[in-house]
This record gives sequence, C-alpha cells and structure tokens, in this order.
Amino acid sequence: MKHKLLPLSETMHYILLALREPLHGYAAMQKIEKLSNGTVILAAGTLYGAIENLNKHGWIEPVGESGRRKVYMITDEGNAILKMEQSRLLHILSLYEGSESNEES
Amino acid sequence: MFFDIEKEEQWLNDQLQKGYRCTNISGLGIYTFEKTDKRYVMKLDYQDYLAKEKFRDYKGIYEDFGWTFIKGSSMGSIQYWQKEDDHQNEIFSDRQSKRNYYKRLMSYSSGLGMLFLLFSYMLYKDSGLYLTDGLWSMEGSLFWKAFIFETPFALLRLFPVIMVVFYGGSYYKAYRKYSMLAEK
Repeated sequence: MKHKLLPLSETMHYILLALREPLHGYAAMQKIEKLSNGTVILAAGTLYGAIENLNKHGWIEPVGESGRRKVYMITDEGNAILKMEQSRLLHILSLYEGSESNEES
Repeated sequence: MFFDIEKEEQWLNDQLQKGYRCTNISGLGIYTFEKTDKRYVMKLDYQDYLAKEKFRDYKGIYEDFGWTFIKGSSMGSIQYWQKEDDHQNEIFSDRQSKRNYYKRLMSYSSGLGMLFLLFSYMLYKDSGLYLTDGLWSMEGSLFWKAFIFETPFALLRLFPVIMVVFYGGSYYKAYRKYSMLAEK
C-alpha cells in the first residue's frame, strides 16, 4: 500500500524542499513563503504537526540547535521521496504538454 | 466553564473583539480580561501528552509565530493561544492539519467518555440510583419525604452518566467535522 503521506500535500512538499538546507521551523516557514511567491503561508500548528510527522517517518531529522530552536534537515530517505514525487509530477506535466495528438494518431 | 471547545473559542474571541485581552485562565476555568486598545485573537488547540522536550518545541514554534501561551499543559490538555490580530490569525493552514486536530479531539473525548463510563459502572453495579433501603416500599408522605430528600444525592450519583453523554456528544461533533474534512 502507498505510504499515508503520499502523494505529498502542498505543505509537506514545501517543507521537504525548504529543508534541503538546515533550518529551524520559523525560518522554514519564511523560506516557504518566498519559494511559493507568498501563496503558501504555514500556520504554527500546521508547521509543528508537519515537522513532527516528517520527523517520525524519518524524512527529516534534527541536526542541531540554534538558541532554543531545533534545526531540521532532510534525510536520505526524504530525498528519495522527493525524487519519487519529482518523477510523478514530471509525468503529469508531460501529459499537460499536449500529447493529445499522439493519442489521435 | 464551557462544554464545547469551539463555542469556548468563539466566546473568548467575542470578548477580545470588544477590546479585551485575556491575561489568565485559572484551573477552575475563570477567565481574567484586561482592557486594551489593540485587538487580539485567541485559538484553542488540543495536544495529547507531550514529553518535556516536545512540549518545549511545540510552545517554541507557536511563540515564534507571535502566539502567547495563556493556559495549557503537557499532560494532554487544551492549549490556549493568544496573539495580536494581524490577519495571520489561524493556527492551522491546511486541511490535513485541521483534520488531525479533530482527530485529537476525538481521542480526547472518547478517552474521557470511557473513563466516566467505567466510573458509572463501578457506581451502579451494586445498587440503583437511590441508596435508601426500602425506599420503594415506603408509603404515602414518608415515601415522598424520603424521595425528595434522596433526589439531590441521586442526581449527584448521576453525574458520571451525564459526563458520558457529554463526552459522547463532543466525540460526535469532532467526528462530524473530521469527516467533513475528509480527502475528496
């Protein structure tokens, strides 16, 4: 059966992408706001829950502390998930790019 | 005191909209407000037992977002968060996390409901609601006097059952919201 977090939700997707560099929670939220051109602004409870969840599944891990805040980064497993999602999305994108003509022929 | 977490949240926000700021909520559920020129909002979250470190992380993230911790505990409780109204007033920004919130409320309600069910069982397994021996065989005015005297105690003994019904109700309410947010 498919993993329960797959396909990745927009929130999870952005967090994994943001955490390709080590960041604490709030900094990840700020980075995601930039990455998404201001369309994805995570709220506190959502961010906390998502980090807990991703950490539990071993897709991100704490790599240190900055002051009292925990700093997280993506794991190898998390990167493998992103790779999978990338090829899934690339396939969907390829369907967007008018392959209807192929079907007709 | 409120018996519905969402009504409580609504009531608190109604007070804050009138220009108040909540400064304290006592263990007995007494709210203290203070007049303020600013506008504040309050959000209620529920968290199960969190280990000390996790609870610190939890509070840390909310505080980074500008929320002030008003009341709550790491022992599985409602968490009260307040912040200045600045158009980023939600604590959940996606469907999944809102859904998980209702799921936590469901397990909270069912846990407490079960606890009171167990209480009720222990309380009633040996006796009925009325404890006085031979109450039902008394006659006339003696019966009525004894009956009226005993009724408050019987109601007190009914308390666990009322709590079972109440938590059953809040379980159902959370379940309704939970299924409404189901992935389509």
